[in-house]
Amino acid sequence: MDSLIPFTTSGSLVDCVDRKMLVVLRDGRKLQGVLRSYDQFANLVLEDTVERIYHQDAFAEAWRGLFLIRGENVVLLGEIDLDQEDEIPLRQVEWTVLEAYHKQDVANKKRREDIKSQVLYEQKGFCKEGGEGDGY
Amino acid sequence: MLPLSLLNAAQNKPMLVELKNGETFNGHLVNCDNFMNITLREVYQTSAEGDKFWKLKECYIRGSTIKYLRVPDTLLDAVKEEQNRAREAGRSARGAHVSGAGPRGRGAPPRGRGMIRGGGGAVRGGRGRGRGM
Repeated sequence: MDSLIPFTTSGSLVDCVDRKMLVVLRDGRKLQGVLRSYDQFANLVLEDTVERIYHQDAFAEAWRGLFLIRGENVVLLGEIDLDQEDEIPLRQVEWTVLEAYHKQDVANKKRREDIKSQVLYEQKGFCKEGGEGDGY
Repeated sequence: MLPLSLLNAAQNKPMLVELKNGETFNGHLVNCDNFMNITLREVYQTSAEGDKFWKLKECYIRGSTIKYLRVPDTLLDAVKEEQNRAREAGRSARGAHVSGAGPRGRGAPPRGRGMIRGGGGAVRGGRGRGRGM
């Protein structure tokens, strides 16, 4: 049966509909929700979405609701194993508590990336990449 | 219900649009097209850092610059209901039409969801895209 389905967006995602999915966006955001619909561009409709942030062994969730995500921005789409989900070795804390730490993590990562690309550009002869903003 | 059909159904509904550069636009959807280009009215624009705000009467957003749209949670249910109503209407209309020719009215296919098929005569078999709404 699997072999009959060509490797297309539609063929790959048809089994994911109505399942709880993890979506990672290009800006690094992680969303969890029920995949209700998609199209050939991997535009997604996510219902009952929550956004999760992580810092060390803690995570926090914030309710986000119904999403329509433009496919271009999707990095990863994966099914969440509902059984294993209950056994994650992380503790949940309040969003307001974790948000500051998470922002700090993001800022640190950005700084590291900036330094790296600077070194690659100045010393290793790489070209400068557009970066996250895509420069549109 | 494809993502862009959902967007179409969201006309006149409030929504939040985030662009790839992080700016967000809060407003009511006026119109949209198949490129995801949209126009919003009564818009509150927020800078990517969330520290600056603008109020716009109306604005146009090119689809390719969009990261995502957040629409009302109730929209999916509303659309499903709308589809059911349309299907019922179609069924009763078709039923009345063929009733003289005996009990042959196929009626709507017995699936829970999926689009309303344009009355095609052939029995639809195979895998199809039924689950994609």
